[in-house]
Amino acid sequence: MANNIRILNKCIPWYPSSYLLPRISGLLQAREYSRPTSFPDYFQNPVFRKEDQAKLIESSELSKIAALPMKPPAVYETSSVYHDPLVNKLINHVMEMGKKQLARSLVEKSFENIKRAQIERYHLATTPEAKAKIELDPKKILHKAIENAKPLLQLQPIKRGGITYQVPGPITEKRSLFLAIKWLLEATYEKERTVHFPKQFAWELLDAANNTGKVVKRKQDLHRLCEANRAYAHYRWQ
Amino acid sequence: MYFNTIKMSHVIIKQLLPHTKSFCVKFRNPAVCNVFNYSTKVTTTSSENALENLTDWETLSRKKKISKAMKAYLERSQEHDEFMKRQQFEYNIGKRHLANMMGEDPETFTQKDVDRAIEYLFPSGIYDPAARPLMKPPEEVFPARKAAEFDEAGRPHHFLFYTGKPSYFKLMYDAAENIQQLYNFQDKIIRKKATADPNGSLNLSSSVWLTKDQLEQVLVETITDLEYNNFKLVMQRLVSLPHAYKVKEFIEKYRKPLASQKFALEIPKPSYDAEGRAFITTYECLRKKARGDVTVRAPGTGKITINGKDLTYFEDVQSREQVMFPLIFTEMQDRVDIECNIEGGGPSGQSGAIRWGIAWGLRSFVDADMIQKMHVAGLLTRDFRRRERKKPGQPGARKKPTWKKR
Repeated sequence: MANNIRILNKCIPWYPSSYLLPRISGLLQAREYSRPTSFPDYFQNPVFRKEDQAKLIESSELSKIAALPMKPPAVYETSSVYHDPLVNKLINHVMEMGKKQLARSLVEKSFENIKRAQIERYHLATTPEAKAKIELDPKKILHKAIENAKPLLQLQPIKRGGITYQVPGPITEKRSLFLAIKWLLEATYEKERTVHFPKQFAWELLDAANNTGKVVKRKQDLHRLCEANRAYAHYRWQ
Repeated sequence: MYFNTIKMSHVIIKQLLPHTKSFCVKFRNPAVCNVFNYSTKVTTTSSENALENLTDWETLSRKKKISKAMKAYLERSQEHDEFMKRQQFEYNIGKRHLANMMGEDPETFTQKDVDRAIEYLFPSGIYDPAARPLMKPPEEVFPARKAAEFDEAGRPHHFLFYTGKPSYFKLMYDAAENIQQLYNFQDKIIRKKATADPNGSLNLSSSVWLTKDQLEQVLVETITDLEYNNFKLVMQRLVSLPHAYKVKEFIEKYRKPLASQKFALEIPKPSYDAEGRAFITTYECLRKKARGDVTVRAPGTGKITINGKDLTYFEDVQSREQVMFPLIFTEMQDRVDIECNIEGGGPSGQSGAIRWGIAWGLRSFVDADMIQKMHVAGLLTRDFRRRERKKPGQPGARKKPTWKKR
């Protein structure tokens, strides 16, 4: 115990006499202590969208969930009507080197271009039936384009007897979404230098939503290849 | 140095603790925490008993045979008792001194006040909070030891003594016994000789199993990872049975409730300003490195003031959306006015801090249902996460250099 006193006294002269004033001492030692960088496992994912919460209320699960600790929503999540998880995903794919503001502005610019193109078409159309057919909402066009670009099959390289076969098989939902966005962006990047990203991306989206264009062709090529390689399909389980 | 005049030896610097701990391990403390609860035959030797036995050791040795183990144990327990008594005495004196130094009443000086006083008198810049000076009651500092596990003749009390971990294996044994009982009960129900309680239910969603450390503390035994996994497996099996509610007490002994929701209890009443408008100011709105305060004024028009500017204080849309998030969620966007002062950090941190501050302040202006919804939406959770530090020898906090064979 005597040992303790000595060490304690050694500690004391490090601090200026101003430590007697509580606020100043608080300011003086304003430094960062180690804090957890993530939430513990038992924190639940938040349900922040109005329609999702309505579902919970209907099944009367809300009060049950309310007893558990919840994580806060991420910075890109809101309950606003303009919030769309797919658009967020797309922005993250467009983003390079963490420049999210730029990525977001590019995606929004391409939405604007889509809107302009569609409104122009709308005004060019003569009959009301033709006008009704034209989709004016860029987000709906994006959803449709991605839906059309999603592949249903994929080729997996499997090695059998020293030969690698391209074996067709089913694709997961997640990977097919990934491929659709990747193909759309790759098609956009194959542009002339004078054309800017938002313009080209708008064209690609409009093409894909219309079930034409490079991306849809690429999907159909993959499907055709899968069909051609169906003889190898048994390698998936043999 | 006026500290020297005061006996401060009980203020324990944690770095010294490993030494004192190993010192303490040698003792078996009979006074603290014995978890045997199975048999009526168990007679835990209290410290008084131990002392008595020790005092007339000379006469006893002639009459009764005392095993060597018992003798060693009694010596150790007496030594430990004295040590703890001394620590307790020093702690009480220290507490009184601290109370006097802080100008408070020593009689009503609680442990909370002690912690505050230590933080004030010994402001510490040591990085790890666990290494800073502390003054705790000795029973918290020195881990609990088991009482005597054998009688004078050296014969163990516990039927599982020779497993080496009697409490742990007793727990497993009890769990298995309960499972068997539940099976029997189910058989009875099938044969219609018993009926299940229709109201019996077991709600496990708001609690978790004790962690390994906590279980070790409860059992006063060290257990291996494998043994802990076995504990979890057997308990999960017990819980999965249809009539597990019958052994609720047994199960709940080994579960710990999750952080309970305190927000419903302590909603502050708004104060009123000169214009008669209700307002709530939330101080210490923190997120990442940003900190500030947020004022919510009740009859308002949706005016938002951030550091004297309006919402365009944030140049990016994402941050503006974040500020509006709680207002849109509660549909109060044109019924309240918001004023914030925020500093430090970047736009993401600042908007996050304001988001939390607004949600926290809005609690006073919405009904209980909406507060529940806000909680489920995660708006009332403080985001305490910080940037993780970079580690030496690697390019980032977690990132490692590309692996090269040579």
